[in-house]
Amino acid sequence: MNSPDNNRLEQQEIDASAKWPVLTFLGSALCWLVLGGALQLGAALQLHTPAFLGGCEWFTYGRLAPAAQNALVYGWGMNAAFGFGLWLMARLSASALRHGGWLFVAAQFWNLGITLGVLGILTGASTSFELLELPRFVTVLLLVAYALIGLWAVSTFCLRNTEHVYVSQWYLFGAAFWFPWLYTVAQVMLFQAPVRGALQPLVNAWYVNGLYGLWFVPVALAAAYYFLPKILGRPLNYFYLPAAGFWCLVVATAFSGGSRLIGGPVPSWVATLGTVANFVAVPAVVMISMTLFGTLAGRYAALKESITLRFVFLGLLGFVAASLLNFALSLRSVAVLLQFTLVGELRDWLLFYGCFSTMMFGAAYFIVPRLTGRAWRSGALVRAHCGATALGLVVLTVTLLAAGWQQGKLLNDPAVPFADLTKAMLPWFTARSVALMLLAVGHLAFFVNFCWSVCPFGSAAEAPAEFHLPPAMSLPAKEGHA
Amino acid sequence: MKNGLTLFLGVFATLALSWAGVLLTAQRQFGGLAQYKDPADESLNPAALSGIADQGRMVYQDLGCVSCHTQQVRREGFGADIGRGWGTRQSVARDYLREKTVLIGQARLGPDLRNAAARPYADAEYFYNLLYAPQSVAPGTNMPSYDFLFDVRPASDQPSPHALRLTGRFAPAPGTQIVPSRRADELVAYLLSLKDTYDYPEARPFVEPKQKEGGH
Repeated sequence: MNSPDNNRLEQQEIDASAKWPVLTFLGSALCWLVLGGALQLGAALQLHTPAFLGGCEWFTYGRLAPAAQNALVYGWGMNAAFGFGLWLMARLSASALRHGGWLFVAAQFWNLGITLGVLGILTGASTSFELLELPRFVTVLLLVAYALIGLWAVSTFCLRNTEHVYVSQWYLFGAAFWFPWLYTVAQVMLFQAPVRGALQPLVNAWYVNGLYGLWFVPVALAAAYYFLPKILGRPLNYFYLPAAGFWCLVVATAFSGGSRLIGGPVPSWVATLGTVANFVAVPAVVMISMTLFGTLAGRYAALKESITLRFVFLGLLGFVAASLLNFALSLRSVAVLLQFTLVGELRDWLLFYGCFSTMMFGAAYFIVPRLTGRAWRSGALVRAHCGATALGLVVLTVTLLAAGWQQGKLLNDPAVPFADLTKAMLPWFTARSVALMLLAVGHLAFFVNFCWSVCPFGSAAEAPAEFHLPPAMSLPAKEGHA
Repeated sequence: MKNGLTLFLGVFATLALSWAGVLLTAQRQFGGLAQYKDPADESLNPAALSGIADQGRMVYQDLGCVSCHTQQVRREGFGADIGRGWGTRQSVARDYLREKTVLIGQARLGPDLRNAAARPYADAEYFYNLLYAPQSVAPGTNMPSYDFLFDVRPASDQPSPHALRLTGRFAPAPGTQIVPSRRADELVAYLLSLKDTYDYPEARPFVEPKQKEGGH
């Protein structure tokens, strides 16, 4: 075991090697977050004010909504996951990111692909398959970019200087491996050699479920498993639970895609298998929650001190809520009511935003000061981001739950004309816009603070209060070098 | 877990089994589904889309109609799809053989469209008006106008036979007429093709073989 001083030094070397690639990924992620959030807000406004941008073909709802979703998922989500994942993999493997220039190239390719893709959706080249709307011509760009990023992550893992492989590394390694496979299979089976008929929605559902469950959730859990013990200075409570939770969760998730097609034009075993898999995921969620909340037990006061912990805690709540909702929606009796309503949207949104994005916010607040060597410039902006995110999340979740419930009730009552249903939804759509506005305010605060903090000019940082090391962090963490 | 190889094999097996177990199994089971030949008149069902309707399918795709409209009718007793008159039977896998891209959708901000052309009021004029000025035929809807699919032309002595006949507040400005563009024609041709009326053996209710007579 290294002495504390050596350990610090080693971490600094690793951080120095990761500085520019990770900052590039996080910076581009933030640009996409602001842009995607704005597009999402625009689409939300159109639902209660159809005339908003109404005459403009580029911004018609059917294009704006998928453009926003793709900008958020592939622009913000993937970039943030790349930045965070590479940094954490290097830290936990106690191995510097070598030849970071290539990652820089990969980031350019990725962002070029997403830019062309989002423009493609707005100009009418969308494929209309959920989360695969990006036109086919960007697929190669994205795969080349990902090949470099995935190779770097996996080779950093293979060149590790540690004996033990930490829980976060399982999740990161798995995610790095699963995403390209899911994406390639979906591309081949839907576009290169398309399957016929009702198999297409099945491939689509398998991909969407995999992208959320086998990419975004693992990256988010890697963050939780890293930051909780790290910041609290306390090892994970249980020894076997993380491993059991990991395998149980990923195997269950891999098979649960069919539950999105309950009542659809596919053989019923497809949906039934998905429902069974979602049942199997329940013990996984319990084990993971026991481990993570167990580590946090009795230390809730630490949430006041660390902004990262606050976001991670929020993300954990998001994970549990999203898992519960996913489980509920895979029951036929619930699906019959809520399947095609706003609650269906909430299921994915809670996983992506409530769980993954909040974890990434927390991670960025931890990582950026260590890469730049300076604290965040503005404590007020940090607090504004955290407050807006928490409030926006609560408002949006409650709104979509209540709205979806009412929508389902009315949809299932054939006596209610569709116009009345739309009328009943209008106040909810407005509430949804307000919540998205709150989140957009948070995004802006985060973006401004990031640019200001990374900018090498200007006066010294003024927000040390949000960034101080708990005493335990100067000791070598108990899980190994990092 | 100290061993990277165990981790790799586990990670590999997880997705490999899922891919084979879900996608390949489904492909084996119904990937080779073919048109059904009617024993009486030897017609093949579902009939292929006409050329213009197939182009309309691409307009449907590029405008993202699937963001708000599903194209799947759930079975009697599971939701009110049939009660709402969105179809007379549940959608089955064979129905979708006619489309090259199958967009069954997952949000019902608007009504299901799988049998849009089978509704009593649905004719070409209805769909043109709906696309140009949704409020003119569906008051209270929040569907956006697709007026960019239409050309505004100066009214001449011989008005276009295709010009929309709109009245009241939706009427075109004096001296102009609204004529559908090629894309509007394609999209409407596609919408008019949306009608799953053929009664496949597998679409008949299993428990209750009683025939349903239309919607309400």
